[in-house]
Amino acid sequence: MMDVGRHPKVELFTNSEVENVTGFVGNFNVTIRKKARYVDANECTACAECAKVCPVAVPDEYQQGFSSRKAIYMPFPQAVPSAYILNMDNCLGNNPIACGKCADVCEKHCINYDDQDELVNIEVGVVITATGMDVYDPTEYDEYGYTRFDNVITSMEFERLICAGGPTEGHFIRPSDRKIPQKIGFIQCVGSRSQDGRGNPYCSNICCMNTVKDTLLLCDHYPGVEAKVFYMDMRAFGKGFEDLYMRSKEEGVKYVRGIPGDVVEDPETRNLLLTVENTTTGKLEKHELEMLVLSQGVIPRQDGDSIRKLLTLSQTSDGFIMESHPKLKPVDAPTKGIFIAGCVESPKDVKDSVTQASAAAARASILLNAGKTKIEAITSQVDTELCNFCGICAKVCPYNAISASDRKAEKPPTIIAAACAGCGACAAECPQDAILMRHFRDEQIMAQVEALVKDDPEKHLLTFACNWCSYAGGDNAGTARLQYPTSSRLIRTMCSGRVDEKFVMHAFKMGAPMVLVSGCHFADCHYINAVHWTQKRMDRLWNKLDKLGIRVDRLQLEWISAAEGQKFAKVMRELEERVQTVTDEEIEHTKKVLAEEEAKAEAKKKKKAKAGAEVSA
Amino acid sequence: MAPKQVRFKCLMCGHEYDGMYDHENVTERSCPKCRSNSIRRLPDAKVAKS
Amino acid sequence: MALELKKPEKLRIGVFVCECGLNIAGTIDCSAVSEYSKTLEDVVCVVQNKYTCADPGQNEIKKAIVEHKLNRVVVASCTPKIHEPTFRQCVADAGLNPYLFEMVNLREHCSWVHQTEKEKATEKAKDLVRSGVARARFLEPQIEAEVPVTKAALVIGGGVAGIQAALDLADGGHKVFLVEKEPTIGGIMAALDKTYPTMDCSI
Repeated sequence: MMDVGRHPKVELFTNSEVENVTGFVGNFNVTIRKKARYVDANECTACAECAKVCPVAVPDEYQQGFSSRKAIYMPFPQAVPSAYILNMDNCLGNNPIACGKCADVCEKHCINYDDQDELVNIEVGVVITATGMDVYDPTEYDEYGYTRFDNVITSMEFERLICAGGPTEGHFIRPSDRKIPQKIGFIQCVGSRSQDGRGNPYCSNICCMNTVKDTLLLCDHYPGVEAKVFYMDMRAFGKGFEDLYMRSKEEGVKYVRGIPGDVVEDPETRNLLLTVENTTTGKLEKHELEMLVLSQGVIPRQDGDSIRKLLTLSQTSDGFIMESHPKLKPVDAPTKGIFIAGCVESPKDVKDSVTQASAAAARASILLNAGKTKIEAITSQVDTELCNFCGICAKVCPYNAISASDRKAEKPPTIIAAACAGCGACAAECPQDAILMRHFRDEQIMAQVEALVKDDPEKHLLTFACNWCSYAGGDNAGTARLQYPTSSRLIRTMCSGRVDEKFVMHAFKMGAPMVLVSGCHFADCHYINAVHWTQKRMDRLWNKLDKLGIRVDRLQLEWISAAEGQKFAKVMRELEERVQTVTDEEIEHTKKVLAEEEAKAEAKKKKKAKAGAEVSA
Repeated sequence: MAPKQVRFKCLMCGHEYDGMYDHENVTERSCPKCRSNSIRRLPDAKVAKS
Repeated sequence: MALELKKPEKLRIGVFVCECGLNIAGTIDCSAVSEYSKTLEDVVCVVQNKYTCADPGQNEIKKAIVEHKLNRVVVASCTPKIHEPTFRQCVADAGLNPYLFEMVNLREHCSWVHQTEKEKATEKAKDLVRSGVARARFLEPQIEAEVPVTKAALVIGGGVAGIQAALDLADGGHKVFLVEKEPTIGGIMAALDKTYPTMDCSI
């Protein structure tokens, strides 16, 4: 921690948040909000005079509320930067200043009640997100009595009680009477591996070994202490883990396979009585303990959504960040130039976090050392011959990469290639078909549509899937071997925003019974908000089909994320059933109607062209 | 354009419901009944008729 | 809409069907897919491989590009998420523009998800290859733009992972901006007493 604080190459922004991220790989523009600290961190010598005079005492978050801190405080003695901070929510008030005692005693005059948030802009080539995790709050497991009984604590609270730097200076005492307990129990998997709707279904990875460690600390501090661990499975799978587990057993820690169903407190002694079925012996056991530690699980960061959206990262169903590939690209985010490290990706211990962080740093170094990177040639281009200067493309572009056209001057728009990310929403919205998406051209996609609805079209479900989410969701279904009907025929586009009305109408004209458009959930869209255009376009298409007397439910829309292999397979199964309901007569009728419609449009075009020619003549 | 009340119809299960629609700020739709995302915003004329 | 090729260039498409061991061949009749591929317009060469992504498979592609003067390459194997860069590099090595390569996903999107419907899966595989070849006929060579990379990194989060990543990058000589929401770095780790497996102090 100290190293990073004094490293000449590291600029530290504490008490700060990332407010905005724009740009692309190699060229990110980041806005950081440095929140007001009210204490000049450079000048503060951490002399603690201010805290001595501060009249406000509030529970100390760092000590899990076991002790108090002042409104002006240092989070913990080794904090980096080593400076005080004034919490304005706790302060008696600065406007008007009601107290002002701390400023009076500060010899260096580094307290400033008028300190303001500051916005800093930086330019970076790569981003590593390591926003971490939160711990599970066991309140909803009411049978353990965490909120009712003083002597039931969480594993985080245990850490503070056993720590020499903690509120009790390392004396492990129980909250009710401040006596050192001799009989201590641990309940595992609190909020983890749960199927009953409370807590989370996944294994939190670290709690088994954390409890093993805790029992060893207890045995070390208080030889002869009686510790019992109630578990469903002990998972000691890492290097050196089994040794620790065995050591704990040798020290006399009892491991009971069975999760207590119920905890009651003896009102006299404040001891805790547990009833548990020992699943090894099959017998119901009762245990009396002086103190109980709930081994709480790990949950995704509760305030992590804003960063996730800024970086357009997807999350798995449990709320952790989705990596680019679970085996081959475990620290890369799907967006180029962004990497993931630590518990933001999944619950992990210190060693795994360090490993992943070094891996992320190494991956980031590849880009930084090269000093340049190639961008996929999938950007858009304007066909100036076809453009009629309507300006829709500029409006659609999520990246403002298209400069507005000028109708009066007949000036077509220009596209800033470096800013274009290749979603193709502009090409799909352009009424003149005047925008060409390199490598995802209309002709290329139309050719796929035609090829896929050529044989037995009446049986198949034509699916458009975006590269990032739905296509990857299909991959996810494959990796998990989730079986679904063979009827789907899939076309990949970079974004669902690329799916032009004419692709869908052409598929119906060729005899497709059903078309599915699928893309990222709104929050996951890799092109900021290109997916909004997909939804608007779908509304238009449904109205169009309705007008032509075509069943609207033959065109379906689903948002499927990269992690939703299950949903992908489910949608495929449901839509297969719906494909069966589309009759041959219906398809024939659609073909006829759309052919007529096309002929009409052609005639209109010709007439218009003729009229235009006459005018110019 | 201010957000307005519109009628949505799920094309998967047929469920119809009213919701707010903001032309400028489109939000993700999913059927409160079957979770499908095939939610059609019915045109005003159609709503008036039915 | 009539699809017509703009360029008079004579198309010569090579299709490479991958068995992926039994991952694809266990469900899909790859020989039938290969035979079918030969009937597709402009396809002049079809090669079936056990593992197209392995060196021998890639060499077959390079060899065929030269021998058959291929100007489009379609590989029917796994998801482009894994091997599209591999094969783009492969065709580039043989002197073909990497954007004249097209990938068809027979594994994640077909064999793995239709394991009990072998015949129908084979039919689907043929359709997918046909679609890939149809798309390949319209591919055009592209030149990738190169952009500079700003030599600085942003690390969001000053817990153990963020600190380690920031230090590694900084020690490597790169400028690092480390942003932490709390008044101090350290994260959850700083609140722990001792950490396993070494049982030493966390700070």
